[in-house]
Amino acid sequence: MKSVRWRLDTRRSWPLLGWLLLASLLLSGCFPLVRAAPLPYIDLDQREPLPAIAPAQVRPLRIAVAAIISPQGTAESYSDLAAYLSEKVGRPIELIQRRTYAEVNELVAQNQVDVAFVCTSAYVDGHDRFGMELLVAPEIDGQRVYYSELIVPRASPAQSMADLQGKVFAFTDPISFSGRVYPTYLVQQLGQTPEHFFRRSFYTYSHDRAIEAVAAGVADGAAVDSLVLDYALKRNPSLSRRIRVIHRSPPFGIPPVVIPPELPPRQAADLRDIFLAMDHDPEGRAVLSELGIDRFVVVQDEDYTDVRQLTQMVGGVQ
Amino acid sequence: MSELAGTLARQPTRSGWSRRLWKMAGSVSIRTKIMGIVLALTVILGLGVTWEVRTVMAQVFINELESRGQSVVSDLAARSVDPILLNDTYSLYQLLTETVANHPDALYAFVVDSNGHVLAHTFGEEGFPVSLLDKNPLQPDNQIHQFHYNSNRGRIHDFMAPIFDGRAGYVRLGLTETRLRGIIDAVTGQMLLTTLVVAVIGILAAMLLTWLLTRPILSLVETTRQVGQGNLAARASHWADDEIGALADAFNQMVADLQVSRQAIAEKEAARGRLLEQLINAQEEERKRIARELHDGVGQSLTSLTVGLKVAGQIQEPALLQQKYAEMHQVAVETLDQVRLLSRELRPSVLDDLGLAAALERYVVEFTQLYPELHVDLHCDLGERLSPTTETTLYRIIQEAMTNAARHGDASTVSVLVSRRDGKVQAIIEDDGHGFDPVAAQRAGESVGIHAMMERAELVGGSLAIESGEEGTTVYAEVPT
Repeated sequence: MKSVRWRLDTRRSWPLLGWLLLASLLLSGCFPLVRAAPLPYIDLDQREPLPAIAPAQVRPLRIAVAAIISPQGTAESYSDLAAYLSEKVGRPIELIQRRTYAEVNELVAQNQVDVAFVCTSAYVDGHDRFGMELLVAPEIDGQRVYYSELIVPRASPAQSMADLQGKVFAFTDPISFSGRVYPTYLVQQLGQTPEHFFRRSFYTYSHDRAIEAVAAGVADGAAVDSLVLDYALKRNPSLSRRIRVIHRSPPFGIPPVVIPPELPPRQAADLRDIFLAMDHDPEGRAVLSELGIDRFVVVQDEDYTDVRQLTQMVGGVQ
Repeated sequence: MSELAGTLARQPTRSGWSRRLWKMAGSVSIRTKIMGIVLALTVILGLGVTWEVRTVMAQVFINELESRGQSVVSDLAARSVDPILLNDTYSLYQLLTETVANHPDALYAFVVDSNGHVLAHTFGEEGFPVSLLDKNPLQPDNQIHQFHYNSNRGRIHDFMAPIFDGRAGYVRLGLTETRLRGIIDAVTGQMLLTTLVVAVIGILAAMLLTWLLTRPILSLVETTRQVGQGNLAARASHWADDEIGALADAFNQMVADLQVSRQAIAEKEAARGRLLEQLINAQEEERKRIARELHDGVGQSLTSLTVGLKVAGQIQEPALLQQKYAEMHQVAVETLDQVRLLSRELRPSVLDDLGLAAALERYVVEFTQLYPELHVDLHCDLGERLSPTTETTLYRIIQEAMTNAARHGDASTVSVLVSRRDGKVQAIIEDDGHGFDPVAAQRAGESVGIHAMMERAELVGGSLAIESGEEGTTVYAEVPT
């Protein structure tokens, strides 16, 4: 009985061994079954000059947005507005961003953009230097003003700008009113200059990044646009557990929408009409509510007198 | 079990190749076999492990390369957003070149905008491999896409990640397997070298092992040859306490046993020669004695009868004649007795006529007449008659033993016990003499009688043993019925 079983086993052991070998080969991936299709071949040294990009058939409406918030945030926030405007003017929209306010002002000065969303002090600077013109301004929560708010980390004991002496401070942009001009004014009121008052200061080139810098503890304080801060807190309520507002400026004229001085008056009028009519049609209202804006309104240069005065007090913009 | 054996026996003949293999394996020396086994095992193990390691390494490296590619390309995509949105082409270019420079396997990186136009790339100023643009086409699903191709720089893993959900464009990263293949090849080479070194060491070890194994075997073969040629003093060397050592010991024991056996045979041969010689002598002595008995006894009596008859013829007086006849009758009777005794001594007819028991009783009577100072106890319990050969054998053995006891043992009592036991007949002859060393006596060739007893017992298929000490000697004889 035993010998019979043994004999059967030995007779079957060879195919078994074969299967084991095959299985191990398959398992160890020696047979490239998954790569059955031959791979394509590309000669990476065969290079050609890149084809030139054909110029667009239709000249797009160029809208510059100053870096009040980060480029990505800007692109996200303004894409619906761009699409709406594109539909209204019947032209594609080119959304243009630059790192600094000065660069955007330069685009306006060179007449390289048709419309620009700029900061208040950038407008004051542009208006005074090359005649940058106001188109419209947003009205938010029924107000046409905004504030510069001094923020610190939630755990910071600071109660005012005086407590931030010897700390690290985050400015937003050299010509930002709420992010640089106003806090510089506060420091000057204390009889100091920012260079000596703060241990160290740096530019974040956007307000949302300045808020992030304070929340992350990279900076001990920053002054930011109240509109940006409200928007950020609305989108990310947990931020209020990480930062604290210790000072709010008097109200200042809200950052406007501007046009270069060379823009044809007809075109300027059309654009103004489109902006002002936005809250009258549902699509426009949807876009406005996305941006947190009630409507666009007409503003005058006089609305920015306080800004102009304060800017001159701190020695203008660099 | 027999079936198993049959299977084993059949197996080599099952197919031609296995038989050839078997024959080949059998025809080479142990040295070649061991070295072959060591070499084959080393090479198979080395190559197998190398192959396995190579495969596993390739798998691990490629997996690692792919996960690294995914993380690098998604990092690139995240860091490209701002430079693209801000139209900062130089920062973008810097980001790409630094990424490629900092990743050893990165071959290229480039960014295309959402329309597929190249914004920045790391191929340098002499141009761009435009065929790359056709591969890994833009897909609007916000996933990292992977694609493999062969190039003049080896196998390339191309990764594509959307920037800002594809709104700002796509970044592509090319990783080459060349460096990792190089590492795998280096490791493979190292392992093959190790295998080679191990194989060489293995061969040396196998040579040593073979020498250790075959040296005692060859020595054993040489010793066997010497023993075969008759040199029984030759002994195999005991090299080690292993199986071969045990074999050498067993072989030596066998040769030693053979030597003892040879000696015993030689001794037996010598004893037989002496027996034959003494038999011839004894025969001559017996003839001499019979001649003397006839001449001195019967001859004298017949002479005296002849003389008496002559004298009687001259006697006239009846009374004297009567007396002379009486004397002569007496002489004749005595002569007849002498002849009868002589005849009985030569061949006890009573053994043939009445059997062993009767013959022994008669012999004891005569024996006690011959040695009156000896007391003999005979117990014979046999029942029916034995075969004539057995009876003669036992009779002569008992006769010899008793004679020895009387002549050499200086005994006063001899007891003889004959009985049947288990289909055999046993005879025990015991005396109270002073004893002797039977082995020494036999070896010295002194005792022809002892040897003759043994020979007789062995001739009928029986056995004989002698025990002797200071208190006496006992002879045990056992023969088949």
